[in-house]
Amino acid sequence: MNCETARLLMENNDPGLEQHMRSCPSCVLQTHARYYEAPAGLEQKIRQSLRRENSAPSPWRWLAIAASLLLAASIAWNMALLRSRMDTHQVLAASVLSAHVRSLAGTHLLDVISSDQHTVKPWFNGKLDFSPAVKDLEGFPLLGGRLEYLDSHPAAALVYGRQKHIINLFIWPSAATTAEVSETRNGYHLQSWSSGGMTFWAVSDLNETELRQFVRLYRRN
Amino acid sequence: MNPARNLARFEEIIIPHLNAAYNLARWLTGDGHDAEDLVQEAYLRAFRSFDTFQGQDGRAWLLAVVRNTCFTWLRKKGDQATVEFDEQMHSGAGESSHAESFLLNQAALGSLQACLEALPLEFRDVIVLRELEELSYKEISDIARVPIGTVMSRLARARKRLQQCLAGATR
Repeated sequence: MNCETARLLMENNDPGLEQHMRSCPSCVLQTHARYYEAPAGLEQKIRQSLRRENSAPSPWRWLAIAASLLLAASIAWNMALLRSRMDTHQVLAASVLSAHVRSLAGTHLLDVISSDQHTVKPWFNGKLDFSPAVKDLEGFPLLGGRLEYLDSHPAAALVYGRQKHIINLFIWPSAATTAEVSETRNGYHLQSWSSGGMTFWAVSDLNETELRQFVRLYRRN
Repeated sequence: MNPARNLARFEEIIIPHLNAAYNLARWLTGDGHDAEDLVQEAYLRAFRSFDTFQGQDGRAWLLAVVRNTCFTWLRKKGDQATVEFDEQMHSGAGESSHAESFLLNQAALGSLQACLEALPLEFRDVIVLRELEELSYKEISDIARVPIGTVMSRLARARKRLQQCLAGATR
């Protein structure tokens, strides 16, 4: 006897039913356990929430929106940073240039007069907390060096010559990287770069091509 | 598939099983309000993962989500579901001793509800899926992620317990 038959027997008040039901809890459950029906209105609520879900931007879209906002903010921040760095750079260029002009105008161009790098380099010992790279450059004879004060730092000034022209190469340690810039101010050419934690500025009234050549030689040696 | 068509398809296939979803949630949680909230949540979850639906039986697929939602909720609530189900504990000796004294009468039927509600969650779970939703062993095994053998033994014990409970109530 299956449960369906049992159901029929029960509906007809048949005494044979009890025997079956006695041994078949499934029948009892299937015929008598309460089946809860969803309350009225639940379907409507579900349909509404599905519709809201379907029209709401997905979490991925929110993520994309957040990402683009972040990107925009980051670009703005970087622009501001760049601008302030450029400002710093301009200020520095001006002070480098006036140091150069001062050195030519007065009598204080050289503290140590020597064309020998092995004389000039040790001269800075004890005067600076860093040791500048003094190099012999072909076509640009070393004239000597002196102490300078730039960007709130003691700096080394190496002086090179080129015919009648004087080149000042300023060197000081700096945590910030200096932009590689080549520029012209008041007829002077300036070139800046950084390397190995040091900031370098070369200034001269030399023409731009030759100053570039000087920098290239210095950086290569 | 475009979102509107996707929703229409979901509503067509899954919404008709709302009663089954509610019945299961109601039996698992024992509370009408909780069941209503959980069914709503389950429908949203089902909709979000509708891409995993591959044309199998919509009711079994939905019930798996409902069951999952309920168990997660019960576990969070710190209900008995946190206690790992111990097959040994529930297979104690003497289970069948009163089974034959089970009689079907009005009193027994009256206590059927109480006896079902008193069943441990894991037993109630399989009983509802099997006897009320009339799912196959295979479907229950898929939904509960246990072997068919486990489904069968759980069901057998659940029925025995129910008989004992009913017998005890009518004696």
